[in-house]
Amino acid sequence: MSPWRPRSAVDLAGAINLVATLTKYLSLAPLVPAAVAVGYGESPWPFLFAGAIVGGTALGVEFLTRGNHRIGSREGFFVVAFTWLTAAAIGALPYLLSGEVQLDRPIDAYFEAMSGFTTTGSSILVDIEALDRSLLLWRALTQWLGGMGIIVLALAVLPRLRVGGRQLLEHEAPGPEIDDSLAARVRDTARRLWLLYIAITFAEIVALAVLGWTGIDERMDLFRAVAHALTTLPTGGFGTEGRSIEPFAATTQWVIAFFMIVAGTNFALMFRALIRRDGRILPRDEEFRLYLTLLGFASLVLTIELWTQGIALGEDAIRHAVFQTATMMTSTGYASADFAQWTTLTSITLVGLLFIGGSAGSTSGSVKVVRHLLVGKLLRREIDETIHPEIVTPVRVNNRVVDERTLRSVLSFVLLYIGIFIIGASLLVLDAARTGIELGPLDAIAAAATTLANTGPGLGFAGPVGTFEPFSDFSSFVMIGLMWLGRLEVIPIVVLFSRHYWRNA
Amino acid sequence: MQASATRALIRVTIATGAATGGSNLPHVKIFVIGAGQVGATIVQALHDEHELTVFDLDGERLAAISQRYDVHTVEGNGASRRVLSDAGINGADLLIACTSRDESNIVAAMISKACSARTTTVVRTTNPEYLEVWREGQLDVDFIVSSEVETAYAILRTVGVPSARQTDVFADGQVQLVEFDVTAAADPAILGEPLREARTPADSRIAAIIRGDGVVIPRGDETIQPGDRIVVIGSPHAAQLWGDLISPGTGKVRDVVVFGAGRAGTAIARLLLEQGIGVRLIEASRERARLVAAELPDARVYNATGFDPDFLERERIADAQVSIFAMRDDLKNHFAATLAKVHGARFTIAIVHDAPSQEVFEHAGVDVTVNPRQITAEEIVRFAHDPRTQQVVMLEGDRFEVLDITTQRDSEYIGLKFKDMPIRGALIGAIVRDGKAVFPRGEEVLRPGDRVIVFTESQRVAEVEKAL
Repeated sequence: MSPWRPRSAVDLAGAINLVATLTKYLSLAPLVPAAVAVGYGESPWPFLFAGAIVGGTALGVEFLTRGNHRIGSREGFFVVAFTWLTAAAIGALPYLLSGEVQLDRPIDAYFEAMSGFTTTGSSILVDIEALDRSLLLWRALTQWLGGMGIIVLALAVLPRLRVGGRQLLEHEAPGPEIDDSLAARVRDTARRLWLLYIAITFAEIVALAVLGWTGIDERMDLFRAVAHALTTLPTGGFGTEGRSIEPFAATTQWVIAFFMIVAGTNFALMFRALIRRDGRILPRDEEFRLYLTLLGFASLVLTIELWTQGIALGEDAIRHAVFQTATMMTSTGYASADFAQWTTLTSITLVGLLFIGGSAGSTSGSVKVVRHLLVGKLLRREIDETIHPEIVTPVRVNNRVVDERTLRSVLSFVLLYIGIFIIGASLLVLDAARTGIELGPLDAIAAAATTLANTGPGLGFAGPVGTFEPFSDFSSFVMIGLMWLGRLEVIPIVVLFSRHYWRNA
Repeated sequence: MQASATRALIRVTIATGAATGGSNLPHVKIFVIGAGQVGATIVQALHDEHELTVFDLDGERLAAISQRYDVHTVEGNGASRRVLSDAGINGADLLIACTSRDESNIVAAMISKACSARTTTVVRTTNPEYLEVWREGQLDVDFIVSSEVETAYAILRTVGVPSARQTDVFADGQVQLVEFDVTAAADPAILGEPLREARTPADSRIAAIIRGDGVVIPRGDETIQPGDRIVVIGSPHAAQLWGDLISPGTGKVRDVVVFGAGRAGTAIARLLLEQGIGVRLIEASRERARLVAAELPDARVYNATGFDPDFLERERIADAQVSIFAMRDDLKNHFAATLAKVHGARFTIAIVHDAPSQEVFEHAGVDVTVNPRQITAEEIVRFAHDPRTQQVVMLEGDRFEVLDITTQRDSEYIGLKFKDMPIRGALIGAIVRDGKAVFPRGEEVLRPGDRVIVFTESQRVAEVEKAL
């Protein structure tokens, strides 16, 4: 039986083949929660079946699409987009097979799974704590694996596709493609950064576990330490508690806040700083400096507001301000307090942070600080050029000139991002009116923004201690789309919808 | 930075010459490759003290030189091994390659090195890249003189003291030589007053007053008149003060406009920026403008021709304290300079590639003209001079020279007080003792080993060198 090969400018079979290969590896993941299930006396079968089904299908598709394939940049777009779609399907299977009543509808299971692999953290669960531990661990694992994928995506794959924020700052000369240089490049970068990612995850597990063992935090145990570490690093936000991080001790909240900020920093930069033992690499980076400045400024605003409104005082106010700022900016989504109950100013600030994002080259979502940096410099130059029409000023970041093409792509991204956000928010509002659920304009904005930014909590009923359950299936579908678009930085998916992608013209 | 590197290297070599205590060097055999403007200037400066052989492909140029000067000439390619060895390269002490083509100069020097290791090679180049490669030790040439860099340095010194006509430095910048054109607008404290009583800045001396065609080495009763051109030797601070006295109201330069971002313009801009002076660069080519804007982050680069009066007005080009015209074409520089002056440019400096054109520029009202070839020739001549003579500066188109000489033990001037020294058409402007500059008053005594900055007429140079 000869492999099926459609005729188009894209080696579709090759792309599907690669997706199948990746899926094949991913099918091993359910083994972990299976083991945990056995350990806690729960049923491992949903996971084992899921793994078998996915593995089998992947092998089958791999076989069907076997052959000599040229995986180049073109195929890269397809692979990237579809890997996440299939990953979400893999994530959903155990939910569906588990018999858990809150996750028995496919759309709900898919929503939760997509929220996992895109490291969003929005949940349709109403009662998180009713879930089996193995299921909770699977939730956390989907986010952790999603985070690994993001690192590779952000630092190796997307720059080669000339998308993403970080290629602007590193000397990522795309260069000629030799064989499957895409795969080779990915492998090199991935290996190094995954090590860092795993190491920091481990560090957080230890830190949290210690807090539990020493009794500083009575609610923390090893399971919770692992679950939270697995979801902090990918800036995911799937917790084990109904009230997010609120039930934990103040020290725990500070520790998690710290790791959130680390997770929102450029991993390649951190890697270089560690390898060369050069502590000045980070502060010398313009994006990092802006990242910290924005964190500081927003924290200050929130602290003052909390204090003056009497919502929290002293160390509480500072802690909650810093935590919420960090969580919304890095797109993690944990909450140390139910900020949906706070004031209008805090809501606007926090929703605003949703549009900033963390550093490029981290697991954060949203627009990302480096793009804001570039747009800011671009605007300043525009004004300069209006005053001095003949002036020639290159835009510089970290003392390197940024080429004009890159600047244009950043502007395009920002416009696309805002456009998609507006469409998403509008659809949510319209759908809410149709189904009669109570969704005010700010709440709709929050819901669209938080899913697009892969953060997690919104306002109103979908707040940090709330749930996305009341949304209709259509709204869930819209938000799944937003999560998908946001995670992949919009452009790879938009490219798939272009005629030029599929034809040679 | 690049210029000071070439200078530092020059001084190192010649200082070692002094350490070995050479007497007045007899005929040094010098090969000069290239009889163009630079070559001709060098020949003019060196022909009477040393044995020169001049090479060029152009027979007519050589004829013109051999008619005026007593030198050997060879019509041939100075970069050819056969030509060089036939001419006796093994006996040459110094080879100066100063054709208009960098590559020929470099090849000539390298072949010379291959044939005769003892011959010191000096290469003229216009491409700053070769200077860089040479500084990294990758070129087998003893010295490189970069026209662009030397020109930029000369302009920088002028910009530092805007009312001066020409400036130079000695003793690592401790001693400055400045030439001023005195007008009636000068501070009355120095006009018409006998020098003995005039309140001139401390740490400086007037080396000479050039009045019309005559030179006066002033004594105490001499006065400065409007229309004079005075030569002052003093400390940098004193030079600044003199500048303020000659043209009151011009402060320290903060803002300069450079027309033309070619190699010369960029080199000038770079040096100015390093001094903390704000630079606006005007370049007509968009590509070049972008390139230079990327290279010089602190400069403001404009993509314009400099001929658009609207642009000049809008950008208030005239507000700049100094306007420098460094385009490749003398004609363009001339027009742009005149246009700029029409729109109120205050102080203009132009690079003039053709020496005869300097008069044209001065007639147009350009304040300072800089001839890269003359400056290059000056630098190169250094190597050929008495090794004790550490620095040579040519003024007034070679009528006068300022020398930096280390006194010998048996000089008749040792032990004399300065006020007692007989003046033989020369004046000692400053001495450098143990590395520090001293501006001698009458009671000061000359000691052996002092380095002396002497102002003298060109024809008396040999005398002065012998005397000291």
